[in-house]
Amino acid sequence: MNAPANTLLSLEGLAVGYDAQPVLRDLNLRLASGSFTGLLGANGSGKTTLIKTILGILPPLAGRMVFTPIDGRQPVLGYSPQHESLDPIYLLCSFEVVLMGVCGRVKPGRFIAKSERDWAHECLRRTGADQLSRKQFSELSGGQKQRVLIARALATKPDFLLLDEPVAGIDVSIKQSILDLLRRLHAEQRHTILMASHDLAVVRQYAQQAIWLRQGKALAGPAAQLLAPENIAAVLDLEMH
Amino acid sequence: MQTLREIFDPHFLLRNSVYVSLVFGLTCPLVGLWLVVRRLVFLGVALPQVSSCGVAFAFALQGWGLLPHAHQSATEHTLAFLGSTVFTLTAILLLSLQARRRRASVDASVGAAYALAGAWSILLLVKNPIGEHGLLDLLKGEIIAISNFELAVTAGVFAAVAAALLVFQKEFLLVSFDREMAVSLKKNALGWDTLLLLLIGLTISMSVLSAGPLVTFGFLLLPPLTAHLFARNMRQFALLAAGLGGLTALAGFYLAYRWDLPVGATDVALLGVMYGLAFVLRRLVRLVRAVRPV
Repeated sequence: MNAPANTLLSLEGLAVGYDAQPVLRDLNLRLASGSFTGLLGANGSGKTTLIKTILGILPPLAGRMVFTPIDGRQPVLGYSPQHESLDPIYLLCSFEVVLMGVCGRVKPGRFIAKSERDWAHECLRRTGADQLSRKQFSELSGGQKQRVLIARALATKPDFLLLDEPVAGIDVSIKQSILDLLRRLHAEQRHTILMASHDLAVVRQYAQQAIWLRQGKALAGPAAQLLAPENIAAVLDLEMH
Repeated sequence: MQTLREIFDPHFLLRNSVYVSLVFGLTCPLVGLWLVVRRLVFLGVALPQVSSCGVAFAFALQGWGLLPHAHQSATEHTLAFLGSTVFTLTAILLLSLQARRRRASVDASVGAAYALAGAWSILLLVKNPIGEHGLLDLLKGEIIAISNFELAVTAGVFAAVAAALLVFQKEFLLVSFDREMAVSLKKNALGWDTLLLLLIGLTISMSVLSAGPLVTFGFLLLPPLTAHLFARNMRQFALLAAGLGGLTALAGFYLAYRWDLPVGATDVALLGVMYGLAFVLRRLVRLVRAVRPV
């Protein structure tokens, strides 16, 4: 099966899950290069599992994933996990966390060059987190941590940004500013973005495309169309019957 | 002061023990801090015991006539080191495999390993016909009787471990702090995990031979726990933990020599006092900060 020219990632009959137990099956999806896609679903619907499978953290249970090479190389993936998943016992300042993003380009046992350190500072600046540079990561608020983690994902110089619930558990005003930041980054740098969220309004407002995970299946389409009130009612009604 | 001068005299009879104590005190906390941040403290308790069991097993093989008898200190030390290392590394690999497969706590297995290793060490020792020939001392970790060969091997292994931890700090930190990020960056997370565990296992094997399981556990965990109360970054954490370990090892040796006490037990007691004082000090500092007007 040949993907259209602007496809960055094709999922072909993909099943994802843990310990041979599929959470999602028979996924046939395409993500266009430069698109902003919202991955919608309730808790436990398989959003994080799908993201981890795309990242290579979990092996697919069936089917395959095909990344379209960019300039003859595999696309670089930038990942921002849920901030609660990181253990506060590590004594790391925000800059050191962001610096981890450049490790993919630094060989084992080598020092990180000044140019890479400057780039890490630049990523903090782009996400509006430069004043947090010297602060302990574990002592930051949820919104501040999220900015730092987005900066770390940017530090990888990604072609494809995967964000796992970037605004979950964050105050409304901070949530708005993080989503505006993502919109700005997408507009300025044309990253391909896949953002997991359980918030229907957020996906409808910010994403161009949407993938809606419900009961082990995926519905995909333009966000405005897929998440239109009549469509939502139809999907929910269909499931009730 | 006279005792201190005596201990640091290059012709001091127990100078090798002083040097080994110092190297041991500096290196164990550097390794132990990874057990602390990866929340594997129980592993730090169980592995020295498993390591001791390996030593007892190696000598039991000799006692049962399955291995030739060793009459030289160097051969005896090598045999003990082999038994200790094989048991420790096997236990580490089995426990980490179990943790990976079940994606659940391995506390029960670690506890069982500790109890079984302790029991088997004693059983293997009491049934060993050559057990009384200093083997009990070796198992207890007699830091007093250190030959030049043992000093050279211990210093060499610990220096190699410390160098590896320093050179690959970036990789160890990445896979420990955020393994998923490491995988997404195409790092060989399993390989780095394995290397770190091997370094931990090697240090524990060597430490148990030098100082016994109790002292190894004390130096692996108490200096990092104390340092974590005050350090602000990972570099300070490592330097403070190693500094505390080295200082305590020397102070413990001094006190033990001065008052004719067992060195290992004195070291661990001193580490405990330091941790207790640091904990109280940390609480006081927080209290003062909380009541001070802004």
